[in-house]
Amino acid sequence: MESTPRWLKVLDYITATMFIAAILMVFFYAPTEAVMGAVQRVFYFHVASGWVGMLGFLTTAVAGVVYLKTSCRIWDIVGLAAVEIGIVFVFITIVTGSIWARPVWNTWWTWDPRLTTAAFMELIYAAYIMLRQGIDDPDRRARFGAVYAIIGFVSVPFTFMSARMFRTIHPVVVGINQPGSLGGFDMTPRMLQTFLFSLLMFTFVFADLLWRRIRLGLLADKAAQMKMKRNE
Amino acid sequence: MFFQNAPANTINYMIAGFAVIYGVMLAYLISLVVRWKKLEREVEELKEIERKGE
Amino acid sequence: MSGGAKAYFKAIHAIVWKDLSAELRSRELLSSMLVFALLVILIFNFALDLDIKIRSTMTAGVLWATFAFAGTLGLNRSLALEKDRGCLDGLLLAPVDRSVIYFGKAISNLVFMLLVEAIVLPVYNFLYNVNLFHWGFLVTLLLGSLGYVIVGTLLASMAVQTRTRDILLPILLFPVIIPVLISALKASNGFLQGLAVADILPWINILIVYDLIFAAISFVAFDYVVEE
Repeated sequence: MESTPRWLKVLDYITATMFIAAILMVFFYAPTEAVMGAVQRVFYFHVASGWVGMLGFLTTAVAGVVYLKTSCRIWDIVGLAAVEIGIVFVFITIVTGSIWARPVWNTWWTWDPRLTTAAFMELIYAAYIMLRQGIDDPDRRARFGAVYAIIGFVSVPFTFMSARMFRTIHPVVVGINQPGSLGGFDMTPRMLQTFLFSLLMFTFVFADLLWRRIRLGLLADKAAQMKMKRNE
Repeated sequence: MFFQNAPANTINYMIAGFAVIYGVMLAYLISLVVRWKKLEREVEELKEIERKGE
Repeated sequence: MSGGAKAYFKAIHAIVWKDLSAELRSRELLSSMLVFALLVILIFNFALDLDIKIRSTMTAGVLWATFAFAGTLGLNRSLALEKDRGCLDGLLLAPVDRSVIYFGKAISNLVFMLLVEAIVLPVYNFLYNVNLFHWGFLVTLLLGSLGYVIVGTLLASMAVQTRTRDILLPILLFPVIIPVLISALKASNGFLQGLAVADILPWINILIVYDLIFAAISFVAFDYVVEE
């Protein structure tokens, strides 16, 4: 029915090409890290998905503010779309991080500030989805979603700060045995190039997915409106 | 040389990591496509009903 | 200007007074929060085996977890009452700024929370022989409860307007309130352990900044939460 816009198709192709290029770079261009070995290659996409997650949640908070100002439905659709993508990519970040941590830190999980914050972020946006599911009126759903998205996003830096201080003030852990210091490495130029390219590539992935997901939201909106009209 | 250890053998973890990255992204893409197809069908049906009603 | 401000505070005062006098008559909110809080402490007693040694380090954690759980009970009840009796709609019709309703409800919720704390603390003191009456601890308690209530009142007024309202509030509230719980817990612990104030101050600062920022956001956002 509705044909895909040309620019979206172009974006699809660019993203797919970059994706393949990034994979080639990660496996063949970037050198194997001297201590951690092969598992370090996960790092490039691990950080990049975390970046996409943050972009998603930031987009939702901004869309929330704009929605409250304008009451324009599209911003609610944007907000939900971005949250969904954010949840998916932060999930990827958490799981790949765990897989990386197992050989390097010798544990699947620590209460490091970044891990803690990522975990609570997932919970916040899971709550966001549950809040929306509990409301039938679309206008109220959009308003409450926007308010919660803003509150949730503002609380994230506080969670990060308190999680960081939680450990640093703790007397036993200070200095030695700080998990953050373990598994650090100096990036060679090739590693850095691969890393930056991965970030750029995932930004394109984000834009592409967001556009697709917004179109899905618009279509869902259309279907819901047609159903309403029929019931009248 | 005592200090020149070979990099740790972590290839299995790497495979697991990339399996998760590709798996989750693929699953999300499939879910987008499935939802899109389902909605398209729904809209078509609704249009059909509308046409018949008129 | 001063006349407007006077009317504003009078309206807040009226809402707080309405809540307190209603509670004085029924006592259902306070009594349920209180009994629940004591039950949670008893459960912790066995779950953590609060013996002399770990008591000093665990006290703050046990108390804050207790207040967090008991608090959701109070918040939900306090706003569900407004919703069910149609009071919220009535208040919305009143010729006052909507933030008055928010501040009124937040203050009465804070009062309930502090009352529960005022009863639980001596009981805890009595049961475990831990002296909790340290000025820093009480200040932390106030700042922490304030942050909890600021966000909690806003989220509870959203939660009661949903289908899944009874289960939704803790799910919405806890992940957002976690910085308050962490900092309040650490600060309380610091005061109880007699750490230097300079070490505790960062936590107090987080609490104050959190309270201020979220009070400002809630003040603006509440309009959108009760809009019909």
